[in-house]
Amino acid sequence: MSTTLRSGQQVATETERVVLPRRGGRGRRVPPPRRSGQLKFGYWWWALPGIVFVLGIHYLATGIGGFFAFTNWTGIGAFEIVGLDNFVRIFQDPTKIGALGNTLFLAFGSVIISNILGLGIAVGLNRGLKSRYILRTLFFMPVVLSPLATSYIWKFIFDFNGPLNVILRGAGLDSVARAWIADPTWAIWTVLVVLVWQNIGFAMVIYMAGLAAVPVEIEEAAAIDGTTVWQRFWHITLPSIRPAVAIATTLGLVNGLRVFDQIMALTGGGPAGATENLATQVYKQSFALGNFGYGAALALLLTVIILVFAVIQQRATAERPEEN
Amino acid sequence: MTQQRRLTRIAGLLVVPATAALVLAGCSGSGSRSGDGNADSFTFTFATSNNLESPYEALAKAYMEANPDITITTNPTPNDKYGETIRTQFQAGNASDVVQTTPGSGDARGLVPLAEAGFLEPLGDTATSLVPSGSEPLFEIDGKTYGQPMDFTIGAVVASMGTAAQNGIDEWPTTMDQFYAECETLTGQGKSMLALAGAAGPNAGLTAQGIAATRVYEVEPDFNTERAAGDTTFAESTGWKDALQTIIDLKDRGCFQPGAEGGGFDAITNGLAQGTSIGSFIPSGSAVEIASAAPAEANFKVQPFPAAKGEKPFVLASSNYTISINAKSEKKDAAAAFVEWLSTPEAQEKYYEVSGLLPISEYKNLDLSDTIYSPIVDILAEGSYTTLPNNVWPNPAVYEALQVGVQGLLTGQTQIDQVLQNMDNAWGE
Repeated sequence: MSTTLRSGQQVATETERVVLPRRGGRGRRVPPPRRSGQLKFGYWWWALPGIVFVLGIHYLATGIGGFFAFTNWTGIGAFEIVGLDNFVRIFQDPTKIGALGNTLFLAFGSVIISNILGLGIAVGLNRGLKSRYILRTLFFMPVVLSPLATSYIWKFIFDFNGPLNVILRGAGLDSVARAWIADPTWAIWTVLVVLVWQNIGFAMVIYMAGLAAVPVEIEEAAAIDGTTVWQRFWHITLPSIRPAVAIATTLGLVNGLRVFDQIMALTGGGPAGATENLATQVYKQSFALGNFGYGAALALLLTVIILVFAVIQQRATAERPEEN
Repeated sequence: MTQQRRLTRIAGLLVVPATAALVLAGCSGSGSRSGDGNADSFTFTFATSNNLESPYEALAKAYMEANPDITITTNPTPNDKYGETIRTQFQAGNASDVVQTTPGSGDARGLVPLAEAGFLEPLGDTATSLVPSGSEPLFEIDGKTYGQPMDFTIGAVVASMGTAAQNGIDEWPTTMDQFYAECETLTGQGKSMLALAGAAGPNAGLTAQGIAATRVYEVEPDFNTERAAGDTTFAESTGWKDALQTIIDLKDRGCFQPGAEGGGFDAITNGLAQGTSIGSFIPSGSAVEIASAAPAEANFKVQPFPAAKGEKPFVLASSNYTISINAKSEKKDAAAAFVEWLSTPEAQEKYYEVSGLLPISEYKNLDLSDTIYSPIVDILAEGSYTTLPNNVWPNPAVYEALQVGVQGLLTGQTQIDQVLQNMDNAWGE
């Protein structure tokens, strides 16, 4: 059904007919056009403090930091420009390649698991369940807690004499109990567990917002047509929340690539570098070891990686024109 | 244009420079160039790692009590970020007048790179006279001294002889065979001879250096000098191989607490205070803090780690903390007078009383027979000690390689040769 509102303009629904403004409708007075000079001056005038802050604090500082990636500055005193030497050293150092691998593992691992679990919880708590408001709060709570503080609690849980091993020993699984955060194989998984635990709530909230916009009528119609729950989810719910998927996965990926607090609190990058990622290496090289230029090169590399993956991810989840 | 609109525009235009001025003022005001307007007042930055009274805070108070017209504004700074904090302040030109530093260049707060960058003021004859013989390269550049040593810290095993006695160990073992035998006895009782914070790099590193004192520096006192000259390497050193092999043996023989590879500093504090471990490689001053949390009968003593067969006990003993003056200070005279006062017996005794660390100039005059240092009095008198090796190493990366390497040895991730090769590679950086 379509309704002609005014010459050359058609609306599709009754809602649009009510919502879309009509010529001379609702008595809203159109203000007289301002002189162009005044208008432009006004824009600059009010935006300038913000622009200065953003340019000065963010882009200028980042640009200067990027410049030091091509120097051998130690953080004090003079420096020399060394070209691409720092980047060559990064790709020749197995520990840095390992840190790059850990960065990607934690980013993709956390984004995939957090989003699957977050979406599942969001769907489960979307409608019907009486205790859903309490459960939503409980699932979201880790997001607002300090990553550092919660990571220290998790460190206690994973400790050799901590609750996890006490439970395992109590269940007769003494051989399974171990120093989890010092185990070369399992340490990286403990970091992933903490990341997922803290990110699930964030993904859940984004998906709940997306699910609120999915029309109940379509799902009901599909149910009447005899579709299964999985078919309704796959063909109706998921396509309807594609923007939420794009936001949740992009933010999750960016956060996963630059994770720092949880690693420093849980393992400090150990044992013997088994959980180092680029962010912890940036910190150690720049501030603990005084290799500021090398640390800046690692930071620049991390920035480029985040940028590339964010763009790829945005393209992959963007709505296709024919779907509009 | 109306009057009101014009006023709004003018006010708006003032917002930008006013905001910028406030921000810049905030930035420049974040430092602490001077205590106050008084010519004799100054600022003092030092590291602190707990909520106990810092010995430097106590010294500043004592100095102000003795000199009522002087005000010292103290800036206690968290220990874990101390090096980068003072480097940033020096670089920005807003460091305190007096700054706690460390000897050498193996640490972010090391005085040698700071002095080479022109941030530190040369000190007087008193500071030079306090520099331990043979350690001059850690304190001096071109004959000028840039840090006044404060302490004489012992790096050995701090052991609870009370806990040892409760577990049938009446005498501290003097050979490795005795040591391993005690380890096996304690393991059967669910206890350990040593508490190790394997996940905390500094403790893993200090443990390796404490063992290396007997395996490397007792045999080759000039190892670091020879390494710097390129006459030897870590990878070629049988002493260093023996030291790292000893760590693996200690682990395999059950001398460390279970899960030591994942232990933090709390593992040491809890182990020693609760009596589940006998001792640990920690700085001697830390014994005072741990003793305050342990029962009175704990009876902590600084004990030498058993030497290898045919060798004699050897410990780490050196000044690990120095006091320097900011080259850009506007209160250099007042700062120099304070630093001079820190060398007086009155100040040194106060330092010992609060920190438990032996004072650099007075420890030889102290009667240590009834203190935690009693087991090593003879060792010190014989000169059987070496300076903390990482203070001499040319950059922090060498010590980092050792710390990470020890963690790797404990978890089985790395081999001894690989660790030593990494230390050699870091030396060359």
